[in-house]
Amino acid sequence: MSNARHVLSLARHEYRAALRSRILVVLLVILVIVTAASVYIATAGYASKLADYDAYRAAAQASGLDRIAPSPLAPLSLLRGGLEYLEIIGAVIAIALGYLSISRERANRTLALLQSRPVTAGDRALGSFLGALAVFATLVTATALVGVLSIGLIAHDWISPSEGFQLLLAYLAALLYLGAFYCLGAIATARARSSANGLVVALGIWLLVVLVLPQIGDTLDADNQLPGGLFQALTLDRDGETSVMAHFTGYEKTRTLIEDTSFAKHFERFAFAMTDVKDRYRPFTLGQLLRETRTDIIWLLSATVALFLGLRRTYKHTPSTGGTS
Amino acid sequence: MIATIFSHQVLALRRQRVLLVLLGAMLLSTALAGALGWSSQRTIIRVFDEATRQLAATGAPAPPNPFLLKPHLSLLSNMVVYIPLVGALFAVILGHLTIADEESAGLGRLLFARSMSRAQYTAGKILSLAAVLAGLLVASLLVSLAALLLVNHGISAGELGRLTLFYALSWAYLVPFALIGMITVLLTTSRSLALLTGMGAWLVITFAVPQFTSGLRPTQSLNPIIEPIGLSQAFFQATAKAQPLSVVEQYKAASGVILDTTPHEALTDTLLRILPLLGFAAILLVAAFALVRTHDFSRSASHE
Repeated sequence: MSNARHVLSLARHEYRAALRSRILVVLLVILVIVTAASVYIATAGYASKLADYDAYRAAAQASGLDRIAPSPLAPLSLLRGGLEYLEIIGAVIAIALGYLSISRERANRTLALLQSRPVTAGDRALGSFLGALAVFATLVTATALVGVLSIGLIAHDWISPSEGFQLLLAYLAALLYLGAFYCLGAIATARARSSANGLVVALGIWLLVVLVLPQIGDTLDADNQLPGGLFQALTLDRDGETSVMAHFTGYEKTRTLIEDTSFAKHFERFAFAMTDVKDRYRPFTLGQLLRETRTDIIWLLSATVALFLGLRRTYKHTPSTGGTS
Repeated sequence: MIATIFSHQVLALRRQRVLLVLLGAMLLSTALAGALGWSSQRTIIRVFDEATRQLAATGAPAPPNPFLLKPHLSLLSNMVVYIPLVGALFAVILGHLTIADEESAGLGRLLFARSMSRAQYTAGKILSLAAVLAGLLVASLLVSLAALLLVNHGISAGELGRLTLFYALSWAYLVPFALIGMITVLLTTSRSLALLTGMGAWLVITFAVPQFTSGLRPTQSLNPIIEPIGLSQAFFQATAKAQPLSVVEQYKAASGVILDTTPHEALTDTLLRILPLLGFAAILLVAAFALVRTHDFSRSASHE
């Protein structure tokens, strides 16, 4: 059997085993339900705003106006809640899948069997990684379909092909992001003597990267220091705020640096830019968007590749009898 | 016999490296909350000074002092976020270890060969969890106190009372999560399934329920200062009725009142916020006793 066939067989095995795991199915169902609810909540007020804009446009065209204001609405931004759930719950699912992948081999004592076959550590790492990516692709497709259909059916606004392409890029980034957390879960579990301890370590890293570091960045935002905003409390307008903050470049750099250490923040920034969540990105073309988010793309790619190489190395050095479940 | 189970469990958790990790993470979170509070205070002073200087240069009157809007204990407002995030997740893990380790080691079979009732066993386990969580929170309280003394140069008796009350409420919030960790082991057949189910419950309570009842997106739940969200939609008019049952929101709101970082409300209103949390704990307590009574300790859960 060639290497490619080995890899495909291992990927198929990973995919089937994941679907057989009850807890994974439960977590997937939770993710799909909360995504649907978040999109429903976001779209509920959207339909009336869209009807108002359509009425304005029709009236403007009827009166022969040359310049009609573009729609301030961005249907893709309604998916923000769903993307945030992928960022938080999706990462837990990915870690769980990595953990289950290793602990299953340990409990079934199939590790020694696998190592007796002509399968290299690279084949095993690539096979399990591709299998996990196939699981995530199923999950992401399900949430994307729920999101897009909710926008069309509830908000009465179907996304355009170019918006669809941007959404595709956002979900491709989600696949990389989830793939990285899968590798983290598998590495931590394989390296720990007890699988449960490995899971705790991976969850600790998840807590830090996904919840604590981005939260520090948000909390240090000068305007977030008081309810209603510090600058509003100081009766400063936008110009005043810019003028004051010009003296805080060092502080802002530190804040950005803390946020930058969070891999999750890079996924969030890229996904939000692609789905028009941030107003400032809306007038940008796709090329401009990709240029603006190149640092985030580099982070996403390099972190995923580094963790995949770590997984490969871990497989290479994992003894067939190591660890307890 | 309850005392024996209690002391054995506390000793077993002390011997585990996980407890050390949890203690370290808890103290680190508290120190981080203090450091962020200090940074926030410094930022406000510097922004206020700069704004006053710029406004004076243009002849405009000085802005109002923002510290009149910033209470002393707001230094620790991040703890209100870290307890449901870090503390509750770790409480689930602690509860999980309490039962799962014994099952993995096959001790469950031996234990009931002795003259001990299942109710005594459950009481000993729950009391040990409650004591370990109380120990973690006392350590966190001491770090908070040190941070307040360093930054605010003192603390009044009233503030100390409020701080103690906040930690007591946090303890009441964490105990149910430890019970969830215990219960999921008793309900499931494998260790991993139990841990992930407990985590699933934590995710739903912490992130999903607030979105349904208050429209809070997951990342909004991470910020100690939450801007009010319009709940005029028909969806929220229906779901907001369940808001009192969203324990994480009630905990955060009650903590804000106790630490004096949110607008004042009547004492009865704050007590009404705490009641669902106590009810939640009581239900889980009853469930834990009932499940231990019927649990088959002869099987080992060491398999995945």
